[in-house]
Amino acid sequence: MSENVLDIKDLIIQYHTEEGIVEAVNGININLNRGKTLGLVGETGAGKTTTALSIMRLLQSPPGKVMQGNIALEGKDLLSLTEKELEKVRGGLVSMIFQDPMTALNPVINVGDQIAEAILIHQKVTQDEAKVKAKEMLEMVGIPGARMEEYPHQFSGGMKQRVIIAIALSCSPKLLIADEPTTALDVTIQAQVLELMKELKVKFNMAMIMITHDLGVVAEVCDDVAIMYAGRIVEQGSLEDIFRTTKHPYTEGLFNSIPNIDDRKSDLIPIKGLMSDPYNLPEGCSFCDRCNYAMSICKTQKPEKVHFSDTHFTECHLYSENQEFKLKG
Amino acid sequence: MAEVLLEVKNLKKYFNTPNGKLHAVDDVSFAIERGKTLGIVGESGCGKSTTGRVILRLLEATDGEIIYEGKNIRDLNANQMRDLRKELQIIFQDPFSSLDPRMTVSEIIEEPIKLNKLIPDKTKRFERVLELMDLVGLSRRMINTYPHELDGGRRQRIGIARALSLNTKFIVCDEPVSALDVSIQAQILNLMNELQQKLGLTYIFITHDLSVVNHFSDDIAVMYLGKLIEKASAEQLFENPVHPYTKALLSAIPRPSLDRKMEKIILKGEITSPINPEPVCRFANRCNFAEDVCREKEPALDEIAPGHFVACHLFKG
Repeated sequence: MSENVLDIKDLIIQYHTEEGIVEAVNGININLNRGKTLGLVGETGAGKTTTALSIMRLLQSPPGKVMQGNIALEGKDLLSLTEKELEKVRGGLVSMIFQDPMTALNPVINVGDQIAEAILIHQKVTQDEAKVKAKEMLEMVGIPGARMEEYPHQFSGGMKQRVIIAIALSCSPKLLIADEPTTALDVTIQAQVLELMKELKVKFNMAMIMITHDLGVVAEVCDDVAIMYAGRIVEQGSLEDIFRTTKHPYTEGLFNSIPNIDDRKSDLIPIKGLMSDPYNLPEGCSFCDRCNYAMSICKTQKPEKVHFSDTHFTECHLYSENQEFKLKG
Repeated sequence: MAEVLLEVKNLKKYFNTPNGKLHAVDDVSFAIERGKTLGIVGESGCGKSTTGRVILRLLEATDGEIIYEGKNIRDLNANQMRDLRKELQIIFQDPFSSLDPRMTVSEIIEEPIKLNKLIPDKTKRFERVLELMDLVGLSRRMINTYPHELDGGRRQRIGIARALSLNTKFIVCDEPVSALDVSIQAQILNLMNELQQKLGLTYIFITHDLSVVNHFSDDIAVMYLGKLIEKASAEQLFENPVHPYTKALLSAIPRPSLDRKMEKIILKGEITSPINPEPVCRFANRCNFAEDVCREKEPALDEIAPGHFVACHLFKG
């Protein structure tokens, strides 16, 4: 059995709008093995969610359009599937958890039925069997089975997110995509939900993509991290690689702009300027206008990948001639 | 000791709901010194935003005193209050919905100056707008743009410029950076820090983000279900948290670091209803250390060390 679950090659996605073409994803590669969690980190507009939606084939089209690339899930070429075949894949092979648990559930159907619905679609079971399974799932995420008949508004935010996790996992998907699953939750509830997700990931031996802007969440649940900026993965590596031997100036900038909770007097060093306009990305490196290390070559030429190890690479001109280059820290 | 600018005594705000009285803010007392920042933290529904609004009288308190520069501002009439509002300002969380989409940047910043007839001369007023834009780091070429053309960070700068346009001394900042990306968040926090130094402002900083509050505040007050449960200097609170809820809250923050993994205290359950609460410790049913006494009576806020206040039966001085 192959260990590889997801294989994305040279993916390019654009939005064709009246105002012009938005270059949302500009050639990314992702390779994910069973049981591993990849953190996809970046700011608003980096292309994280677009990437995730394209894996689910939920990209709204028009305006969204996959211009180039391949997405293979368990060896299946997702981009060539028909809508009917996709129904089997979505919720079956791959599930997604969205940021906002308040809007992801149907307010007029009780939660038990919402979980059972997913099971009925993907498995050959009767109504009653699906209900039993739904109850099991609910209990697995820490909600008493007796609350099956209740409606979403009777649950708090954290519990709704648990219900959504139960739905997402009800058919044992091979890949779970979690798009900012805890951003809308309070810290103590966030801790509960993250703990639950870690536990379930091991139990189901799934691969997981965790989309987040919070490096704290990354440190807690991810094995590997991909830092996205303007539709490119600008640095990728294991947790150790990214946190201990940060290479890309943007990654460094992200770390410097978070308040250090253990040293309250440390200065915040913001990244200057703003994310470049996705309608009009610069010719060279997209980050060069905001970069403290920018050289003349950065303005005109797109940087190539520089590999430091099997796991760790970055796309930055600083390392193209001298791999030993050190950031200021 | 520095002079106290604002003191809140036994502040209460109850809302009437069909199911009973919702105790949003219940008997909260604290003081803020001039030029300092008090951070108020807590989870959604703990009453932190309501506290901020009640202090500015954007909501009328149910009971208690709000003493600003020695006067109880709850006793002021509408005219006196209007005068005082020039000194008391608020910055909102969402820079997308707090600005009028049909006004340009200069109109938005000018509006409070015009309404309060602070600078009657048009040219001088315009100069003041430019001065304010410089102060908050908004480029002058944006003067005629509309809010929708700007990103969140710039919009928040407009909100700050507007809050500073009068004789502002005190600002309630209600989650001012929560809607922003981290790199922009750092820009705004630095700006607010700078302005505080330069203009001697006093802040109440309301947030759910504990790393931000630690970076930004001199003192921190932790609220739980309408109650102030712990208050101390930022150093003290982070180094020596005492209340079991504060401890759990601090341990639950995901830390962006691979070192020093803190033992996580995962709380059971969720916040209970703030409607008609029983006179017992409101945290007792989630607390890992709760004893019988916690379910029998409400703990009072005691000073267990100089400047360190805790409301918990387990700690009595």
